[in-house]
Amino acid sequence: MFKKFEEKDSISSIQQLKSSVQKGIRTKLLEAYPKLETHIDLILPKKDSYRIAKCHDHIELLLNGTGEQVFFRHRDGPWMPTLRLLHKFPYFVTMQQVDKGAIRFVLSGANVMCPGLTSPGACMTPAEKGTVVAIMAEGKEHALAIGLLTLSTEDILKINKGIGIETYHFLNDGLWKAKPVK
Amino acid sequence: MHAVNEPDEIKKKVEECHGAVEVTYPIEVKYCGNCSMPIEYCEYYAEYDKCKEWLAKNYPEDYEKLMLREVEEAAGASAGGMDSDRKRQKRGGKGMLRAKKDNEDDNELKCVRLSCTTRGKNKRVTLVAGLAAFKIDLRAAAKFFGTKFACGSSVSGDKEIVIQGDVKDDLLEVIPDKWPEVPRDAIDDCGESKKRGQS
Repeated sequence: MFKKFEEKDSISSIQQLKSSVQKGIRTKLLEAYPKLETHIDLILPKKDSYRIAKCHDHIELLLNGTGEQVFFRHRDGPWMPTLRLLHKFPYFVTMQQVDKGAIRFVLSGANVMCPGLTSPGACMTPAEKGTVVAIMAEGKEHALAIGLLTLSTEDILKINKGIGIETYHFLNDGLWKAKPVK
Repeated sequence: MHAVNEPDEIKKKVEECHGAVEVTYPIEVKYCGNCSMPIEYCEYYAEYDKCKEWLAKNYPEDYEKLMLREVEEAAGASAGGMDSDRKRQKRGGKGMLRAKKDNEDDNELKCVRLSCTTRGKNKRVTLVAGLAAFKIDLRAAAKFFGTKFACGSSVSGDKEIVIQGDVKDDLLEVIPDKWPEVPRDAIDDCGESKKRGQS
């Protein structure tokens, strides 16, 4: 999704958010990621005013007070954390681990195929279809991508073919490279 | 709608990742200065050698660890044969990232080009192009020129500043004074620009 994203061209407008909308987003985030509760004040301080950057292809980025991108979403989809945020607080998103061979493909933006999640080096945490997941890798400490399950983990095991996780944001893509917005 | 894992499971996973050490958040991740990814992913970058160089310079300890691991792996591969390879699935295709050819910025000559055009019948404007190559903030520069020459000044298009009035000769003096990193030789007087000034 962010493969061809470029900060300069892709962001069409930046808006200051009304405080009521901010509250709405906060509660939505907490609903989606209950484990975030302990640290949400670090990520999005209550007193801060956040902004939303509207981008091409119906992408919205949530910027915190310092202009860092913290969450993004596509159309009315769920808010997903950016990788930089996820590296700081890796615990609040469900993790799925792919095997070593899949890393290079994911790093060039490919969706994760089922066999990459079921082979010996991989490891899945049970989750429903449509869950936001962090894609980890065999032998690596940090997440390398963020995606959405297109099948439930049970189905992935059963079917073992085709796309299992749709990759939205991966290391070194346009969003990763984007600098904090002033 | 979002399925929640058992807390134990998450904990286990986190422990796996961080060696069961008490973790304080936010976690500080070391990012490579060359490829900007966490250093453990450098090996998947097209310019891995440059990453290594960077690592050796900035985090010598991690570099040594990496070297050790590589040596071990090489030894393991030769001793254990293809054992580790056989377990894994093979994948086809060209997954490796290619080095991108974005030398555009480097190739672009580092010079500031000044030119003049007319706007309307009797008004002159000065165009300054190429300041961006020196990593100068164009907006700040435009503002500076505006106050300096007491005239309108704006950033037009991508990398060009338009100053109202003919101030080319002054610019030759002002630019090196304001930004010492721009040598006087790098400022090019292009004379009359054929391009009509943007209206």
